[in-house]
Amino acid sequence: MRQLFLFLLLAGTLAWAGDEIPALDAKSDYKIGDRLAQPASSSPSGYRETGWDDLLPKNWDPMKELRALNLGALADADPRATKVLQKMRELWDSAPVEPSLRGERIRIAGFMVPLERKGHQVTEFLLVPYFGACIHVPPPPANQIIHVLTSKPLKDAQAMNAFWVSGTMDIDHTDSAWGASGYKMKADVVTPYKEKR
Amino acid sequence: MRHLLFLATRSAWNRRLTLGLTLVSVALSVTLLLGVARVRQEARDSFAQSVSGTDLVVGARTSPVQLMLYAVFRIGEATNNIRWQSYQALASHPEVAWTIPLSLGDSHHGFPVLGTSSAYFEHFRYGSSQGLALAAGKPFADVFDAVLGSEVSEHLGYHLGDHITLTHGMGGEGLAEHADKPFTVVGILAPTGTPVDRTVHISLEAMEAIHLDWQSGAPIPGFSIPAEYVRKFDLTPKEITAMLVGLKSRAAVFKMQRYINDYAPEALLGVLPGVALDQLWEVVGIAERTLLAVSAMVVVVGLTGLTAVILASLGERRRELAILRSVGAKPSDVFLLLTAEGLCVTVLGALIGVILLTLLTALLAPFAQSHFGLVIQPEWISVEEFMLLLSVVGVGLCASLVPGYRAYKLSLADGLTPRL
Repeated sequence: MRQLFLFLLLAGTLAWAGDEIPALDAKSDYKIGDRLAQPASSSPSGYRETGWDDLLPKNWDPMKELRALNLGALADADPRATKVLQKMRELWDSAPVEPSLRGERIRIAGFMVPLERKGHQVTEFLLVPYFGACIHVPPPPANQIIHVLTSKPLKDAQAMNAFWVSGTMDIDHTDSAWGASGYKMKADVVTPYKEKR
Repeated sequence: MRHLLFLATRSAWNRRLTLGLTLVSVALSVTLLLGVARVRQEARDSFAQSVSGTDLVVGARTSPVQLMLYAVFRIGEATNNIRWQSYQALASHPEVAWTIPLSLGDSHHGFPVLGTSSAYFEHFRYGSSQGLALAAGKPFADVFDAVLGSEVSEHLGYHLGDHITLTHGMGGEGLAEHADKPFTVVGILAPTGTPVDRTVHISLEAMEAIHLDWQSGAPIPGFSIPAEYVRKFDLTPKEITAMLVGLKSRAAVFKMQRYINDYAPEALLGVLPGVALDQLWEVVGIAERTLLAVSAMVVVVGLTGLTAVILASLGERRRELAILRSVGAKPSDVFLLLTAEGLCVTVLGALIGVILLTLLTALLAPFAQSHFGLVIQPEWISVEEFMLLLSVVGVGLCASLVPGYRAYKLSLADGLTPRL
């Protein structure tokens, strides 16, 4: 009887070991729209910890042009409301970047959307501020997306995993009709994000 | 200790038939476990290898995974096409740097036929941003020119200048053939290890041309249009299956994806290849893990058999162990003897399993590539596989402790005082 129990234990161990290897499919605990807890600005390793709000230019006010409208007076189905929403989207899509961030060494936490893979490793990705960004809900403004190139490929990473990314910020100008320039980052270190509790 | 090892080998040799069979079962189960792990890894790698540098894959509205499967990996069939006007609208969008149209549906001896434009040879990237290279010839220029993937030409033995006929639909040869409009092989691509190798490439105009007289869904007598008259028709495509889009700025991909998904004139779907691949693995992952768990259980069964065989042998070895004890072997020596036996069989089984797997992959790789488009490189074991092997040996060790312990318990008194 005791030996039978031992066998079952062994069987369990191996089944668990077999299950443990594909750590790739770990499900995320985040829900759509979740943001990561933002850090206080302390610099342990030469990188300034940065929150997503710091990526917005100081004097940028996306609501400026909409102030004139009394939004409270608009009903949901009002065609003017739809227009305002449309206008807001356009403003967000061409949101300006904070020029002082160019060349800054920063550390920022966000969710990863893979762009390029090498085998099962990710070499290039977009970092976005909230979970489910862009796949399930409208995309964040142009100045809330960072295009990250990694120096070392990321192992076992899945779309919408959370990471700390440390590296040098750059501003990428593209001449397109939408007129937006975006953040680009050369990442030195990418580590999985762990909630401090 | 040395004597003990010598005795263990001699004793094992004496029972070579039962132990040998157990060894085979352990080796086979290890081969199965490693094989499943390896195929899973190789499948992921070869899928990830197939597309690079593409920001969005656009097609008719369907599941993102399915769009990826048919547009990039040529698995399954498209649910619907997209209009040429939509393609042109997206291609001329200011954010878009390049586009590659893809028109699928026909085949040649089971290999898919892809209608595309010259942008394919210019912008398509695979692996680590590698471009396509021609091993011989040039890209298609005339309507009835075809460029073959390396495997198509190798498998079917085609050379430059050969004439080939395409088959309507994805059926085998001899079905509805476009026999009246033969193609000339003008180029052969260098091997890529991706679905490109299994593809016959023709121009979009050619795709339109071979279907000119198929307007009723089948060639109707009296409606056939000979190849030499085809050029008089307007060969602008009406529809394509899907398109690959490259953007000027990769960070703009979400904007563009939204623009595509909200595109009013036609229901379109744009997917990020990286995200769709993750979704695919999420779906496939369940089956993969089940398969891996089943093969892990097979290893457990093999090792259980091993334990059972050694345990059963205890009965016939009572005298042997008793004699060992009487000439001065300690109970712990008996314990070691039996545990070592089980461990040795497990390690040997694992080693034979690895060798068997290497042989099998070397033998079956061409078959897997031609039938499933799966590229399996015969490589030495990876870190993950080594961890799997270690856990097998660990479980083997635990399993061998059982007969060792039992012999230890029995050997204290058993055998020396036979009960009659």
